[in-house]
Order: sequence, then C-alpha cells, then structure tokens
Amino acid sequence: MLRRFLIHQRAIAKPGLRHVRPFTTCGTLQEKPLPPRLKLVETELEESFLKGSGPGGQKINKTSSAVQLKHVPTGIVVKSQETRSRQQNRKLARLILAEKLDHMEKGNESRTSIKTERARVKKASASKKTRRKYKKLAEEDGKDDASQESADEVESELNDARSSPTAFETQNEPSKP
Amino acid sequence: MPRLAPSLLRQARAIDVLLPPLLPACRDLRSAENELRWLKDHAIKTGRQCGLAHSDASLKRLVARRARGEPIQYILGTEYFGDLELKCQPGVLIPRQETAASVTHLAQQLSKKRKGRPSDLHILDLCSGSGCIPLLFHHEFYAQPGNEHCKLHMVGADISVQALELARRNQKSQIAAQSKRVTAQTTSLAAMRFLHADVLLSEAANAIHAPIGVVEALQQLTNTRPTPAYEVLISNPPYISSQAFRTTTARSVRNFEPKLALVPDNPSSAPSALDGDVFYPRLLALADQLRTEIILFEVADIDQAQRVATLLARQSTWRTVEIWRDEPGATSDEADHVLLDGGESVPVRGAGNGRSVFAYRGAAAAWLQ
Ligand SMILES: C[S@@+](CC[C@H](N)C(=O)[O-])C[C@H]1O[C@@H](n2cnc3c(N)ncnc32)[C@H](O)[C@@H]1O
Repeated sequence: MLRRFLIHQRAIAKPGLRHVRPFTTCGTLQEKPLPPRLKLVETELEESFLKGSGPGGQKINKTSSAVQLKHVPTGIVVKSQETRSRQQNRKLARLILAEKLDHMEKGNESRTSIKTERARVKKASASKKTRRKYKKLAEEDGKDDASQESADEVESELNDARSSPTAFETQNEPSKP
Repeated sequence: MPRLAPSLLRQARAIDVLLPPLLPACRDLRSAENELRWLKDHAIKTGRQCGLAHSDASLKRLVARRARGEPIQYILGTEYFGDLELKCQPGVLIPRQETAASVTHLAQQLSKKRKGRPSDLHILDLCSGSGCIPLLFHHEFYAQPGNEHCKLHMVGADISVQALELARRNQKSQIAAQSKRVTAQTTSLAAMRFLHADVLLSEAANAIHAPIGVVEALQQLTNTRPTPAYEVLISNPPYISSQAFRTTTARSVRNFEPKLALVPDNPSSAPSALDGDVFYPRLLALADQLRTEIILFEVADIDQAQRVATLLARQSTWRTVEIWRDEPGATSDEADHVLLDGGESVPVRGAGNGRSVFAYRGAAAAWLQ
C-alpha cells in the first residue's frame, strides 16, 4: 500500500572494507550493498518553518532554524532543529522522514535497521582485533569518503545527531480521510 | 515574561547544569539544549585554535553571556542567511530570516522571464549593514538556471563604518568560497562595492565631510555624470517607531543591537507611532534620481506596508505595487489584498506578517509580468 507513494533510488553501495579485503561473491554481510535509499516525492510533502508568533523582522531576533515536514499521504510529521542552518535542517528532515517511511514499510529489512545491525556486528568483531589493526582499517576505510555521495554525508551527520536525544522529534498525526 | 516553572528548571539541571541559566533566554528546554550544543562546539573549536586543552572555562563564559540575553549570533560570530553563513559582530544588525526570504523571492521573480531583461543589472542596496542582502541576492540569482551570462553590478551603502567593514569581510569570505573560474557570477561578486553614505542626506545639503549623500557617493564610484541608472533598489532601512521600540521590540534586541539600525535617527515632527517611516519618502526620491524601475523595501508590519504602498500609489508612476508577507512564496488563507485609503486595491502575497513592499514601473514591467 505504502509502496505506491515511494520511489526507490538507485542503490549506492558503500565501499566498506574494499581496501582491506577484495570483494568476493561469498563475502561477509558488510560487503553486500545496502538496500536503496528511499526517495521522497516533494509534492507529497508539507514543509513549515517553526517560529513563534509575534512581530518578526527587526523587532525580534529569532534563532529558530527548525523545520517541520509532513508526509501528506501517511500523516507522519517529523521535525528537525539539529543545526543552525535551516537549509541543513531541511535536508535532515527529509532523511529522517525517508527512514521512517522505509521502516514502516519494511521493518527490520529497512536500510536503517540493516545499517544499525551491521554497525553492531562490525563493532563486536572489531573489538576482538588489536587496537592498532583496527586503527589502520579505519584509516583505509576513510580514503573512500571523498568520493561518497553527499547524501552519505547528511546520513552520517544524522547518525551523530541521534546521540543527542532532543534534536529530532516525530509524531504521528493520522491524515483525515 | 512569565516565570519559568521550577519543575522545568529541575528537569533542565538533571540533563546538564549549564542548561538552567540558558532557559530564560531560550524559553524552552529544546532550544536551550540546541544552543548549549552549539556553544559547546564553539568553545571546543576556539579552544583548539588557541591551543587550549580545556574549554570548560570558556564554555561557562559563553553560557553566562547568553544567560544575560546577548544574541547567540554575536557570541558564535555568525548567522545563517538563506544558504550563506555570514559573519556577525556587535554594533551591526544581525540579519533576519524574513529578509532572506524576501530577497530570495525577489531573485526568483527577476529570473522568471529573461526575454527583454537587460544583460547587465544595476542593483543598489541602501542601509546594507552586514552586506547580507546583495550577497544573498547574488547567490540566489546565479542559482537560477539561465542567469549565468547576466552581469550584476551591485552596490551597498551604509552610514556605519563598522557595518561597511563587516560587509567587506563577508564579501571576501564569499569570494573565497567560490570557484576560481572566471564567470559573470565570480566577476559580479568581486566587483560588489560597499560605500559610506547617508541615505537621509539630500543633495541640497551637500556635505563636505563624510558621510556624503548616496548620489554623490555613486558618482565618485563610477566617476561619471549623470549617475548610471540603478534598475533595482532594495532597502531594509531602520523602520521601528520610537513607540514600538519601547513597547513591542524584544529586550535582547534593544539591549544588544545598534539602535542606529533599528529606529530612524532625527525623527521629524511625526508622532512617535509613525516616526519609523522616515526613510521611505527619501528612498523613493532616490529611486527617481537613479531611474529605478524595481523596488523592494522591508517594513515592520502590514500597517507600515500600507502606508508605504500609499506613498507609491500617490506617485502614480508605479505600474504594479504588491505587499509581500514573511514567506512571499507560500500559500495561506490570509487576505490576498488590502484596500488603501485612496481606494486602490493592493495584492498581498504569501504567508505570515506583512514584511515588504515590492513595486515596478517602466521597461521592467515588460519582463516582470
Ligand atoms: C535594519 S539595518 C539593515 C541591515 C541589513 N541590510 C540587513 O538587512 O540586515 C539598517 C542599517 O541602516 C544603517 N543606517 C542607519 N541610518 C542610516 C543612514 N542615514 N544612511 C545610511 N544608512 C543608515 C544602519 O547602520 C544599519 O546598518
């Protein structure tokens, strides 16, 4: 049902540990491409900039860069006020919403769930290795970053932001029939 | 201001001891947490630059400043204006988001039809402060497809030397952020100028000492007579009346931002509720002298917008006059026009408070409509 509203982007596989171990078809979990990032349809979104009522303009110096985004077909509402840049918050809000919808549709098979699970597995296996080896691995992995798509940057920023519990908020506001 | 609930303060303290002092300035816990995070990042960043290992003490100092009501933009030294991160400094007005929305909308309106539009556009921003308006206009204009060959000749003018200095620094950092390739976009940015001038000084009173009048300053710049035409005139002048400054202006603005940028100096004999209108007749006189065809003036509210629109209607040279709200591109259920005292109907676009007056005349009508 939900699928009707969603268009899937071409899969972008994160190169992962390519430098360390060459890709093989019988590789580990990390080497499989992630499911595609879900793409939102802009015409189905209602965006608003949250700011208090009152005079505005020169009389008040508002700091609010918060963005609220509503997915009209499902009524899901997300807010982002993580950064001081409204533009950046707009991108983040879209990413959070896409993840929400993806999760609603696919549950544990969603991109985020798989990513979280992989991160957990990776962390567990990495802790077994020596500190030095782990560091080397991380450095080599980092070499790929420059060629990453910008959505990946936003995504990692989003992960950083998750460590701060109040930056995002979601609420479910069922759309009226 | 209502007192903060003790339970809220307790809740804040449980998260971080530095949160409660931020609450009065931020009002709600969520904004306080956001601001604390930004202050922390700033303390770490500046600590690193100064080679300090411990940024705790400096973070406490930043929090204390914010707790006294100082705008966070002055503390962090920057503000986002549309896509641009601009430098801010005490003594110069912090750019407002509503201004960014109007300027962005203007750049879009001027890009809708290119047939008949001159290949060179002269744009003057009076009362330019931090330089935010020409810098964002430039950015937004070249973000529109089809404008890459159009040249912008942009000039800002302000009475405050501090503002001019900041505007030039903002211009420098925007230049540094651009590609090194020579295009109409990069040359237009490099050619942008900020002049010292007094908008309220009419040429009759020709001053010998700086600041001089706007027309004179422009003549000195181009070294030509008559002054070249400026097709577009933008201004966000001081527009708060002395009455509104006392009653409806936020304390943090009154205490920390320059009054010179907010309340017109030298109010005439106008009553204190209307002495915020001082700049508009003067801006219109300059528009005539500079053969301006398109204007965008920011205003305080829908009432001031109507008074400015009335001035324009009386001039009878303006083909179209519109009032724009805070978000001029948005749709809303609010009234879509207002009636002026003379009976003219003026369209009101967008959502939010009445925020600016837009008008055009002459040849511009052909390519704007
Ligand atoms: C409301 S601020 C606008 C600054 C900037 N354009 C913005 O939008 O943030 C008004 C500016 O007008 C300047 N100003 C005040 N009186 C002036 C005058 N008589 N002539 C020129 N500029 C003046 C102030 O220094 C201040 O920078």
